[in-house]
Amino acid sequence: MKSLKQIWLTFAGTRVGQSIFRVGLPESNLGRMQAMVSSFLLHLHPAKVHRHSLQFSYTLGLGLISLYLFLILCITGVALMFFYVPSPEHAYDNMKDLEFVVSAGMIARNMHRWSAHLMVLCVFLHMCRVFYTGGYKPPREFNWIVGVGLFVMTLVLSFTGYLLPWDQLAFWAITVGTNIAGYAPVVGKKIQFLLLGGNIVGESSLLRFYVLHVIVLPAAVVFMIAIHFWRVRKDGGLSRPGEPDVLVQQSETGPLSTSKTYGLMELARGTSPAVGLKPEDEVPVWPHLLFREILLFLATMAVVMFLSVFWNAPLEEFANPTHPPNPAKAPWYFLGLQELVAYSAFWGGVAVPALLLVALVALPYLDHQRVGIGVWFARERRVAVTIFTICVVAAVVLTAIGTYFRGPNWDWVWPWAASAVTPH
Amino acid sequence: MNKGHSPPATPAATPVPQPYHRDSRRDFIWLTLGWLASLFALAASGFATLRSLVPNVLYEPSRRFKAGRPGDYPDDTATFIEEVRLFIVRKGNSYRAMSGICPHLGCTVNPTVGKYPFLCPCHGSHFDPNGAVVSGPSPRGLAWHLVSLSKDGRLVVDMDQTVTHDKTLVIKA
Repeated sequence: MKSLKQIWLTFAGTRVGQSIFRVGLPESNLGRMQAMVSSFLLHLHPAKVHRHSLQFSYTLGLGLISLYLFLILCITGVALMFFYVPSPEHAYDNMKDLEFVVSAGMIARNMHRWSAHLMVLCVFLHMCRVFYTGGYKPPREFNWIVGVGLFVMTLVLSFTGYLLPWDQLAFWAITVGTNIAGYAPVVGKKIQFLLLGGNIVGESSLLRFYVLHVIVLPAAVVFMIAIHFWRVRKDGGLSRPGEPDVLVQQSETGPLSTSKTYGLMELARGTSPAVGLKPEDEVPVWPHLLFREILLFLATMAVVMFLSVFWNAPLEEFANPTHPPNPAKAPWYFLGLQELVAYSAFWGGVAVPALLLVALVALPYLDHQRVGIGVWFARERRVAVTIFTICVVAAVVLTAIGTYFRGPNWDWVWPWAASAVTPH
Repeated sequence: MNKGHSPPATPAATPVPQPYHRDSRRDFIWLTLGWLASLFALAASGFATLRSLVPNVLYEPSRRFKAGRPGDYPDDTATFIEEVRLFIVRKGNSYRAMSGICPHLGCTVNPTVGKYPFLCPCHGSHFDPNGAVVSGPSPRGLAWHLVSLSKDGRLVVDMDQTVTHDKTLVIKA
């Protein structure tokens, strides 16, 4: 009985196997590093990685988990597309079919829903992690902005998906959500009209949200993720303490001379993962990082599966444009916003979110001292950490109030009180 | 065509590469025109794509709503008509129509028996009998719409026409 490895080796040694894998199953660190750079799927990784970047307590794996959730969302999303027609006549029935007619349909829908909610959460936590470890400081300013863009895209993706089941929850969450957008100065009403394709949430709104949700936004996210990962590599890998302050710069005249040929390496500029690395600090990505990545994927999958098996995605009554539920709530990640809007539509719905977004984008250019990088809550960054924490706590508290403490008529309720409405 | 030309007498000197200067007026004009034309073509295509997304025809319920006969609405009441979310308010012989859509975030206001007759369940905006905001986050009062009488003797509400709350349709009994 041959072992699995022997079967693999036999196959990789054949003419066909060699043509596919280029290098066989590597037997040494050198071979494994060669495999990293010669395989399409593996070459997203560097050949070696700093030990510090492997510490789970540093990254909490949040960026990778967000990616995995996005992949699960893409796959389950495509699966769901086979059973979904974006029209008010069919959408709701399709949901029922997924639950009662399609084999494993409910699981697919549950996985999609749970992954979406978890992705909003993980992307937000990933942003917090990068902030608290100073990961946005030079040379990583631009990647922070790409990340902020991805966070916004995640919210918009989730929001556009919310309408698709065409039930009461979907209809009124989108009505409230698009009305919030309508408060933007000058262009607000136009954006609302364009987004809905009319004055009310109707047939064209559903089609628009669907197209945005299944192709426009995912394509944009894939593109931005590619840039995000590329920049992680080009900016010197994950942030870590003791990074060299002096970045390798191409000299003015350049390394080129006419007397010899030159390799691409001589044209490279800026930091690369190799800069400031001592051999004893770095380990081969295969197996150290790859193993952790696979483990993290399995863990993510397990959590999503667990939630999907035990908690179904809700489906309320068929959308009724004449009768809103009481209270009519936006999706949970907008409930902090809705709570603010309950005080003042303009300040809560437009000014505060816009200012927060501007602050997030401007952050790496305002706070650019290269201190406290690669350390959680560095003492030198007390002020920045305090300000950010206040914002995060405020967002969490407002969201919690909007989700759990607001009942009919947006009156205060205690979540454990009998009349409390279950949040979605 | 080449008849008048003779081949050069001396072999051509090795051409010395000259740096390319875009400093002639002709180059400037052509480049400017070229860039402008390219930008215009792209901008126009982009605009056309965007413009196509602005609907020219809305397949929505009509904004002109034909309600019942004046006599269908009891005196001194506000009757809620669910399908268009508005109230027909009758006082004696005068008829008015008030929108039931809260201007805050688009929920439907409920008639209440409390101190103020209209309450939005979403964020607790209160409105007085004239639709003005009493409390809550609503930036505006409830809208009033123009009421007219159709030829077959029914009330018609035009929801595209906003009027002041004291604009009434008086129907002599």
